[in-house]
Amino acid sequence: MSNYEHLIRCHICEAVNIDHSQNKKCRRCQSPISSDLTISYHKTLAFLITAMILYIPANIYPILISKQLGINSESTILGGIIHLWEAGSYPIALIILVASVFVPLLKFILIIYLLITSKYKNYSSKIDKHKLFYITEAIGPWSMVDVFVVIILSVLIHFSGIKIYPGSGATAFALMVFFTMISALSFDTRLITKKIDIYKKGKSINAHS
Amino acid sequence: MISNQELDNLIICKKCHTLHEKVPLHNKRKALCSKCNIVMYQHDDKIVDKTLALVIAAAISLIIAFQFTIVTINIQGLEQSLTLSSLFTVIGEHEQYVVGIMFLFLIVLFPIAIIVSMLILLTLMKTKKGGYLSKRLLILIAHLRPWSMVDIFFLSLLVAMVKLFDYANIELGVSFVAFIFTLILDIIITKSIGFYELWEIHNEIYGQIDE
Repeated sequence: MSNYEHLIRCHICEAVNIDHSQNKKCRRCQSPISSDLTISYHKTLAFLITAMILYIPANIYPILISKQLGINSESTILGGIIHLWEAGSYPIALIILVASVFVPLLKFILIIYLLITSKYKNYSSKIDKHKLFYITEAIGPWSMVDVFVVIILSVLIHFSGIKIYPGSGATAFALMVFFTMISALSFDTRLITKKIDIYKKGKSINAHS
Repeated sequence: MISNQELDNLIICKKCHTLHEKVPLHNKRKALCSKCNIVMYQHDDKIVDKTLALVIAAAISLIIAFQFTIVTINIQGLEQSLTLSSLFTVIGEHEQYVVGIMFLFLIVLFPIAIIVSMLILLTLMKTKKGGYLSKRLLILIAHLRPWSMVDIFFLSLLVAMVKLFDYANIELGVSFVAFIFTLILDIIITKSIGFYELWEIHNEIYGQIDE
Protein backbone atom coordinates (compact mmCIF):
# COMPACT_ATOMS: atom_id res chain seq x y z
CA MET A 1 0.00 0.00 0.00
CA SER A 2 2.96 2.35 0.43
CA ASN A 3 2.88 2.80 -3.33
CA TYR A 4 -0.46 4.52 -3.07
CA GLU A 5 0.68 7.16 -0.60
CA HIS A 6 1.78 9.66 -3.21
CA LEU A 7 -1.24 9.54 -5.47
CA ILE A 8 -3.01 12.86 -5.85
CA ARG A 9 -6.19 14.07 -7.48
CA CYS A 10 -6.12 16.67 -10.23
CA HIS A 11 -8.45 19.45 -9.09
CA ILE A 12 -9.57 20.20 -12.65
CA CYS A 13 -10.37 16.80 -14.20
CA GLU A 14 -10.33 14.62 -11.05
CA ALA A 15 -7.88 12.12 -12.57
CA VAL A 16 -5.58 10.22 -10.23
CA ASN A 17 -1.94 11.22 -10.73
CA ILE A 18 1.39 10.15 -9.31
CA ASP A 19 2.96 12.94 -7.32
CA HIS A 20 6.70 13.22 -7.95
CA SER A 21 9.02 16.05 -8.82
CA GLN A 22 9.18 15.33 -12.58
CA ASN A 23 5.43 15.17 -12.85
CA LYS A 24 4.33 18.78 -13.09
CA LYS A 25 1.22 18.37 -15.21
CA CYS A 26 -1.89 16.26 -14.95
CA ARG A 27 -1.65 13.25 -17.25
CA ARG A 28 -5.16 13.81 -18.59
CA CYS A 29 -5.86 17.54 -18.79
CA GLN A 30 -2.32 18.96 -18.61
CA SER A 31 -3.29 21.38 -15.84
CA PRO A 32 -0.45 22.13 -13.44
CA ILE A 33 -0.83 19.83 -10.45
CA SER A 34 2.49 20.05 -8.73
CA SER A 35 3.17 23.68 -8.00
CA ASP A 36 5.60 24.55 -5.23
CA LEU A 37 3.88 23.98 -1.90
CA THR A 38 5.53 26.98 -0.25
CA ILE A 39 4.27 29.22 -3.07
CA SER A 40 0.76 27.83 -2.62
CA TYR A 41 1.04 28.39 1.13
CA HIS A 42 2.12 32.00 0.77
CA LYS A 43 -0.42 32.79 -1.94
CA THR A 44 -3.24 31.45 0.23
CA LEU A 45 -1.96 33.42 3.21
CA ALA A 46 -1.58 36.65 1.20
CA PHE A 47 -5.09 36.49 -0.26
CA LEU A 48 -6.49 35.59 3.15
CA ILE A 49 -4.83 38.61 4.78
CA THR A 50 -6.18 40.86 1.98
CA ALA A 51 -9.66 39.49 2.62
CA MET A 52 -9.35 39.99 6.37
CA ILE A 53 -8.23 43.59 5.89
CA LEU A 54 -11.17 44.20 3.56
CA TYR A 55 -13.52 42.72 6.15
CA ILE A 56 -12.88 45.74 8.42
CA PRO A 57 -14.15 48.48 6.03
CA ALA A 58 -16.93 46.10 4.96
CA ASN A 59 -18.25 46.24 8.51
CA ILE A 60 -17.41 49.85 9.37
CA TYR A 61 -18.70 51.60 6.25
CA PRO A 62 -22.41 51.57 5.42
CA ILE A 63 -23.50 48.84 3.06
CA LEU A 64 -26.80 50.58 2.38
CA ILE A 65 -27.68 54.29 2.23
CA SER A 66 -31.31 55.30 1.98
CA LYS A 67 -32.23 58.83 0.98
CA GLN A 68 -35.74 59.86 1.94
CA LEU A 69 -36.82 63.44 1.21
CA GLY A 70 -33.27 64.68 1.44
CA ILE A 71 -32.49 62.89 4.71
CA ASN A 72 -29.74 60.26 4.52
CA SER A 73 -29.79 57.24 6.74
CA GLU A 74 -26.96 54.75 6.60
CA SER A 75 -26.82 51.21 7.85
CA THR A 76 -23.93 48.81 8.22
CA ILE A 77 -24.20 45.03 7.98
CA LEU A 78 -24.60 44.50 11.72
CA GLY A 79 -26.90 47.52 12.04
CA GLY A 80 -29.09 46.13 9.29
CA ILE A 81 -29.32 42.74 10.99
CA ILE A 82 -30.23 44.32 14.34
CA HIS A 83 -32.84 46.49 12.61
CA LEU A 84 -34.36 43.44 10.90
CA TRP A 85 -34.39 41.50 14.17
CA GLU A 86 -36.15 44.33 15.98
CA ALA A 87 -38.65 44.67 13.15
CA GLY A 88 -39.55 41.02 13.66
CA SER A 89 -38.27 39.46 10.41
CA TYR A 90 -36.31 36.78 12.23
CA PRO A 91 -35.74 34.37 9.30
CA ILE A 92 -34.32 37.12 7.06
CA ALA A 93 -32.18 38.42 9.91
CA LEU A 94 -30.83 34.90 10.43
CA ILE A 95 -30.10 34.37 6.71
CA ILE A 96 -28.16 37.65 6.54
CA LEU A 97 -26.41 36.94 9.84
CA VAL A 98 -25.25 33.50 8.70
CA ALA A 99 -24.35 34.57 5.16
CA SER A 100 -22.51 37.80 5.87
CA VAL A 101 -21.10 37.35 9.39
CA PHE A 102 -20.71 33.66 10.19
CA VAL A 103 -19.68 32.36 6.75
CA PRO A 104 -16.76 34.81 6.22
CA LEU A 105 -15.54 34.34 9.80
CA LEU A 106 -15.83 30.55 9.50
CA LYS A 107 -13.87 30.71 6.26
CA PHE A 108 -11.10 32.79 7.84
CA ILE A 109 -10.85 30.39 10.77
CA LEU A 110 -10.87 27.26 8.58
CA ILE A 111 -8.20 28.53 6.18
CA ILE A 112 -6.01 29.74 9.08
CA TYR A 113 -6.40 26.36 10.78
CA LEU A 114 -5.50 24.46 7.59
CA LEU A 115 -2.47 26.69 7.03
CA ILE A 116 -1.21 26.38 10.61
CA THR A 117 -1.63 22.61 10.72
CA SER A 118 0.21 22.26 7.42
CA LYS A 119 3.29 23.80 9.00
CA TYR A 120 3.30 22.25 12.43
CA LYS A 121 2.61 18.87 13.86
CA ASN A 122 -1.09 18.19 13.63
CA TYR A 123 -3.33 15.95 15.58
CA SER A 124 -6.47 15.93 13.47
CA SER A 125 -6.87 13.28 10.81
CA LYS A 126 -6.24 13.98 7.14
CA ILE A 127 -9.74 12.93 6.22
CA ASP A 128 -11.23 15.50 8.60
CA LYS A 129 -9.01 18.21 7.17
CA HIS A 130 -9.98 17.29 3.61
CA LYS A 131 -13.61 17.54 4.66
CA LEU A 132 -12.97 20.93 6.24
CA PHE A 133 -11.44 22.18 3.02
CA TYR A 134 -14.40 20.83 1.06
CA ILE A 135 -16.74 22.81 3.35
CA THR A 136 -14.57 25.93 2.95
CA GLU A 137 -14.90 25.75 -0.82
CA ALA A 138 -18.62 25.03 -0.72
CA ILE A 139 -19.72 27.84 1.60
CA GLY A 140 -17.52 30.51 0.00
CA PRO A 141 -19.79 32.27 -2.49
CA TRP A 142 -22.87 32.29 -0.22
CA SER A 143 -21.66 35.38 1.61
CA MET A 144 -22.42 37.40 -1.52
CA VAL A 145 -26.13 37.31 -0.54
CA ASP A 146 -26.03 40.62 1.32
CA VAL A 147 -24.33 42.49 -1.54
CA PHE A 148 -26.85 41.16 -4.06
CA VAL A 149 -29.76 42.07 -1.77
CA VAL A 150 -28.49 45.65 -1.51
CA ILE A 151 -28.10 45.91 -5.28
CA ILE A 152 -31.60 44.52 -5.93
CA LEU A 153 -33.06 46.94 -3.36
CA SER A 154 -31.19 49.87 -4.90
CA VAL A 155 -32.69 49.03 -8.30
CA LEU A 156 -36.24 48.56 -6.99
CA ILE A 157 -36.34 51.52 -4.60
CA HIS A 158 -35.39 54.13 -7.13
CA PHE A 159 -38.01 56.89 -6.97
CA SER A 160 -37.69 60.66 -6.83
CA GLY A 161 -38.86 60.76 -3.20
CA ILE A 162 -36.95 57.81 -1.82
CA LYS A 163 -33.80 56.15 -3.04
CA ILE A 164 -31.51 53.40 -1.82
CA TYR A 165 -27.80 53.42 -2.68
CA PRO A 166 -25.24 50.69 -2.16
CA GLY A 167 -22.61 52.15 0.15
CA SER A 168 -18.85 51.72 0.00
CA GLY A 169 -19.20 48.84 2.46
CA ALA A 170 -20.82 46.81 -0.31
CA THR A 171 -17.76 47.22 -2.55
CA ALA A 172 -15.42 46.22 0.28
CA PHE A 173 -17.59 43.24 1.12
CA ALA A 174 -17.78 42.02 -2.48
CA LEU A 175 -14.00 42.28 -2.80
CA MET A 176 -13.61 40.45 0.51
CA VAL A 177 -15.67 37.51 -0.79
CA PHE A 178 -13.66 37.55 -4.02
CA PHE A 179 -10.36 37.34 -2.16
CA THR A 180 -11.49 34.58 0.22
CA MET A 181 -12.54 32.55 -2.84
CA ILE A 182 -9.18 33.15 -4.54
CA SER A 183 -7.47 32.21 -1.29
CA ALA A 184 -9.35 28.89 -1.10
CA LEU A 185 -8.64 28.20 -4.77
CA SER A 186 -4.91 28.75 -4.38
CA PHE A 187 -4.78 26.35 -1.44
CA ASP A 188 -3.10 23.15 -2.62
CA THR A 189 -4.72 20.09 -1.04
CA ARG A 190 -1.31 18.45 -0.81
CA LEU A 191 -0.62 20.91 2.03
CA ILE A 192 -2.94 18.68 4.06
CA THR A 193 -1.01 15.48 3.49
CA LYS A 194 2.51 16.85 3.44
CA LYS A 195 4.45 19.12 5.71
CA ILE A 196 6.14 22.04 4.02
CA ASP A 197 9.59 21.69 5.61
CA ILE A 198 9.98 18.08 4.50
CA TYR A 199 9.08 19.00 0.98
CA LYS A 200 11.64 21.81 0.91
CA LYS A 201 14.44 19.52 2.04
CA GLY A 202 13.54 16.96 -0.63
CA LYS A 203 13.58 19.67 -3.25
CA SER A 204 17.04 20.98 -2.37
CA ILE A 205 18.47 17.45 -2.55
CA ASN A 206 17.00 17.14 -6.03
CA ALA A 207 18.60 20.40 -7.05
CA HIS A 208 22.07 19.32 -5.89
CA SER A 209 22.09 15.92 -7.49
CA MET B 1 5.78 2.80 -11.11
CA ILE B 2 2.07 2.52 -11.67
CA SER B 3 0.89 2.54 -15.27
CA ASN B 4 -1.73 4.95 -16.59
CA GLN B 5 -4.21 2.13 -16.98
CA GLU B 6 -3.88 1.19 -13.34
CA LEU B 7 -4.28 4.85 -12.40
CA ASP B 8 -7.48 5.01 -14.45
CA ASN B 9 -8.89 2.26 -12.29
CA LEU B 10 -8.45 4.34 -9.16
CA ILE B 11 -10.53 7.21 -7.92
CA ILE B 12 -10.04 9.71 -5.10
CA CYS B 13 -13.13 10.98 -3.29
CA LYS B 14 -13.59 14.72 -3.84
CA LYS B 15 -14.70 15.33 -0.27
CA CYS B 16 -12.38 13.29 1.95
CA HIS B 17 -9.66 12.32 -0.57
CA THR B 18 -9.85 8.62 0.25
CA LEU B 19 -8.41 6.40 -2.46
CA HIS B 20 -10.79 3.83 -3.95
CA GLU B 21 -10.54 1.17 -6.58
CA LYS B 22 -13.21 1.56 -9.23
CA VAL B 23 -15.87 -1.08 -9.72
CA PRO B 24 -17.85 -1.38 -12.95
CA LEU B 25 -21.43 -0.27 -12.43
CA HIS B 26 -24.70 -1.41 -13.93
CA ASN B 27 -26.94 1.06 -15.67
CA LYS B 28 -28.32 3.81 -13.39
CA ARG B 29 -26.26 2.84 -10.36
CA LYS B 30 -24.15 5.09 -8.20
CA ALA B 31 -20.88 4.46 -6.41
CA LEU B 32 -20.57 6.04 -2.96
CA CYS B 33 -17.45 6.85 -0.99
CA SER B 34 -16.88 4.31 1.77
CA LYS B 35 -15.82 6.99 4.27
CA CYS B 36 -18.19 9.92 3.71
CA ASN B 37 -21.04 8.47 1.61
CA ILE B 38 -20.84 11.14 -1.09
CA VAL B 39 -21.60 10.08 -4.69
CA MET B 40 -18.27 9.52 -6.43
CA TYR B 41 -19.43 8.39 -9.85
CA GLN B 42 -22.47 6.92 -11.54
CA HIS B 43 -23.32 5.16 -14.71
CA ASP B 44 -26.07 5.81 -17.23
CA ASP B 45 -25.99 4.59 -20.83
CA LYS B 46 -27.89 7.55 -22.24
CA ILE B 47 -26.37 10.27 -20.09
CA VAL B 48 -25.10 12.42 -23.01
CA ASP B 49 -28.53 12.57 -24.68
CA LYS B 50 -30.34 13.26 -21.41
CA THR B 51 -27.94 15.98 -20.30
CA LEU B 52 -27.96 17.59 -23.74
CA ALA B 53 -31.75 17.88 -23.55
CA LEU B 54 -31.55 19.38 -20.05
CA VAL B 55 -28.82 21.82 -21.08
CA ILE B 56 -30.85 23.05 -24.07
CA ALA B 57 -33.81 23.62 -21.75
CA ALA B 58 -31.57 25.42 -19.25
CA ALA B 59 -30.14 27.63 -22.02
CA ILE B 60 -33.62 28.64 -23.17
CA SER B 61 -34.81 29.44 -19.66
CA LEU B 62 -31.62 31.39 -18.94
CA ILE B 63 -32.17 33.52 -22.05
CA ILE B 64 -35.76 34.20 -20.94
CA ALA B 65 -34.58 34.96 -17.41
CA PHE B 66 -32.19 37.61 -18.67
CA GLN B 67 -34.59 39.08 -21.20
CA PHE B 68 -37.74 39.99 -19.31
CA THR B 69 -38.87 41.57 -16.05
CA ILE B 70 -37.94 39.68 -12.90
CA VAL B 71 -40.18 41.50 -10.42
CA THR B 72 -42.17 44.71 -10.42
CA ILE B 73 -42.97 46.58 -7.23
CA ASN B 74 -45.75 49.06 -6.74
CA ILE B 75 -45.64 51.59 -3.91
CA GLN B 76 -48.73 53.82 -3.83
CA GLY B 77 -49.03 53.98 -7.60
CA LEU B 78 -45.29 54.31 -8.24
CA GLU B 79 -43.91 51.41 -10.23
CA GLN B 80 -40.39 50.12 -10.58
CA SER B 81 -39.31 46.90 -12.21
CA LEU B 82 -36.16 44.84 -11.98
CA THR B 83 -34.70 43.74 -15.30
CA LEU B 84 -31.13 43.08 -16.27
CA SER B 85 -30.87 46.38 -18.16
CA SER B 86 -32.45 48.45 -15.35
CA LEU B 87 -30.04 46.74 -12.96
CA PHE B 88 -26.95 47.87 -14.84
CA THR B 89 -28.26 51.39 -15.55
CA VAL B 90 -28.93 51.94 -11.84
CA ILE B 91 -25.55 50.51 -10.82
CA GLY B 92 -23.93 52.84 -13.37
CA GLU B 93 -25.95 55.78 -12.05
CA HIS B 94 -24.77 55.10 -8.51
CA GLU B 95 -21.18 54.71 -9.76
CA GLN B 96 -20.68 51.34 -8.07
CA TYR B 97 -18.37 50.07 -10.78
CA VAL B 98 -16.54 47.35 -8.83
CA VAL B 99 -19.79 45.74 -7.70
CA GLY B 100 -21.25 46.22 -11.18
CA ILE B 101 -18.39 44.44 -12.91
CA MET B 102 -18.47 41.59 -10.38
CA PHE B 103 -22.21 41.34 -10.90
CA LEU B 104 -21.80 41.27 -14.68
CA PHE B 105 -19.31 38.41 -14.50
CA LEU B 106 -20.80 36.33 -11.67
CA ILE B 107 -24.46 36.54 -12.63
CA VAL B 108 -24.44 37.03 -16.40
CA LEU B 109 -21.22 36.17 -18.23
CA PHE B 110 -19.99 33.10 -16.34
CA PRO B 111 -23.35 31.27 -16.23
CA ILE B 112 -23.86 31.95 -19.95
CA ALA B 113 -20.31 30.79 -20.69
CA ILE B 114 -20.87 27.56 -18.72
CA ILE B 115 -24.18 26.78 -20.44
CA VAL B 116 -22.80 27.54 -23.91
CA SER B 117 -19.67 25.43 -23.30
CA MET B 118 -21.80 22.56 -22.01
CA LEU B 119 -23.98 22.84 -25.09
CA ILE B 120 -21.01 22.73 -27.49
CA LEU B 121 -19.29 20.00 -25.46
CA LEU B 122 -22.27 17.65 -25.41
CA THR B 123 -23.02 18.26 -29.09
CA LEU B 124 -19.41 17.36 -29.90
CA MET B 125 -19.67 14.25 -27.76
CA LYS B 126 -22.91 13.26 -29.45
CA THR B 127 -21.43 13.63 -32.92
CA LYS B 128 -18.06 12.21 -31.75
CA LYS B 129 -16.04 15.03 -33.27
CA GLY B 130 -13.51 17.57 -32.06
CA GLY B 131 -11.57 15.73 -29.35
CA TYR B 132 -9.19 18.59 -28.64
CA LEU B 133 -11.91 21.26 -28.45
CA SER B 134 -14.03 19.20 -26.08
CA LYS B 135 -11.03 18.74 -23.82
CA ARG B 136 -10.43 22.50 -23.69
CA LEU B 137 -14.13 23.07 -22.98
CA LEU B 138 -14.08 20.58 -20.10
CA ILE B 139 -11.12 22.42 -18.55
CA LEU B 140 -12.86 25.79 -19.10
CA ILE B 141 -16.04 24.61 -17.38
CA ALA B 142 -14.05 23.29 -14.42
CA HIS B 143 -12.41 26.70 -14.04
CA LEU B 144 -15.66 28.66 -14.33
CA ARG B 145 -17.85 26.45 -12.15
CA PRO B 146 -17.06 27.99 -8.72
CA TRP B 147 -17.70 31.49 -10.08
CA SER B 148 -21.27 31.06 -11.24
CA MET B 149 -23.65 32.59 -8.71
CA VAL B 150 -27.14 32.47 -10.20
CA ASP B 151 -28.42 30.42 -7.26
CA ILE B 152 -27.10 32.95 -4.76
CA PHE B 153 -28.65 35.77 -6.79
CA PHE B 154 -32.01 34.01 -6.58
CA LEU B 155 -31.78 33.64 -2.79
CA SER B 156 -30.92 37.36 -2.58
CA LEU B 157 -33.94 38.12 -4.71
CA LEU B 158 -36.18 36.24 -2.28
CA VAL B 159 -34.62 38.03 0.70
CA ALA B 160 -35.11 41.43 -0.98
CA MET B 161 -38.73 40.60 -1.77
CA VAL B 162 -39.48 39.60 1.81
CA LYS B 163 -37.89 42.87 2.96
CA LEU B 164 -40.17 44.86 0.66
CA PHE B 165 -43.26 42.79 1.36
CA ASP B 166 -44.64 45.15 4.01
CA TYR B 167 -44.24 48.35 1.99
CA ALA B 168 -45.04 47.40 -1.57
CA ASN B 169 -47.15 45.30 -3.88
CA ILE B 170 -44.92 42.79 -5.58
CA GLU B 171 -45.71 41.35 -9.00
CA LEU B 172 -43.63 38.44 -10.22
CA GLY B 173 -42.46 38.67 -13.81
CA VAL B 174 -41.82 36.08 -16.48
CA SER B 175 -38.12 36.00 -15.67
CA PHE B 176 -38.80 35.02 -12.07
CA VAL B 177 -40.36 31.75 -13.23
CA ALA B 178 -37.58 31.31 -15.77
CA PHE B 179 -35.01 31.71 -12.98
CA ILE B 180 -36.71 28.96 -10.97
CA PHE B 181 -36.62 26.67 -14.03
CA THR B 182 -32.95 27.43 -14.67
CA LEU B 183 -32.06 26.59 -11.08
CA ILE B 184 -34.04 23.34 -11.00
CA LEU B 185 -32.45 22.25 -14.30
CA ASP B 186 -29.02 23.22 -13.01
CA ILE B 187 -29.53 21.09 -9.89
CA ILE B 188 -30.67 18.10 -11.99
CA ILE B 189 -27.69 18.47 -14.34
CA THR B 190 -25.09 18.71 -11.56
CA LYS B 191 -26.72 15.78 -9.74
CA SER B 192 -26.80 13.51 -12.77
CA ILE B 193 -23.44 14.27 -14.34
CA GLY B 194 -20.16 15.34 -12.77
CA PHE B 195 -16.77 16.13 -14.20
CA TYR B 196 -15.71 12.60 -13.49
CA GLU B 197 -18.37 11.11 -15.75
CA LEU B 198 -17.75 13.75 -18.42
CA TRP B 199 -14.06 12.83 -18.53
CA GLU B 200 -14.90 9.13 -18.60
CA ILE B 201 -17.16 9.69 -21.61
CA HIS B 202 -14.45 11.82 -23.19
CA ASN B 203 -11.97 8.97 -22.78
CA GLU B 204 -14.43 6.46 -24.15
CA ILE B 205 -15.21 8.48 -27.26
CA TYR B 206 -11.88 10.05 -28.12
CA GLY B 207 -9.58 7.31 -26.84
CA GLN B 208 -6.97 7.43 -24.13
CA ILE B 209 -4.70 10.30 -23.21
CA ASP B 210 -2.50 11.48 -26.04
CA GLU B 211 0.99 11.78 -24.66
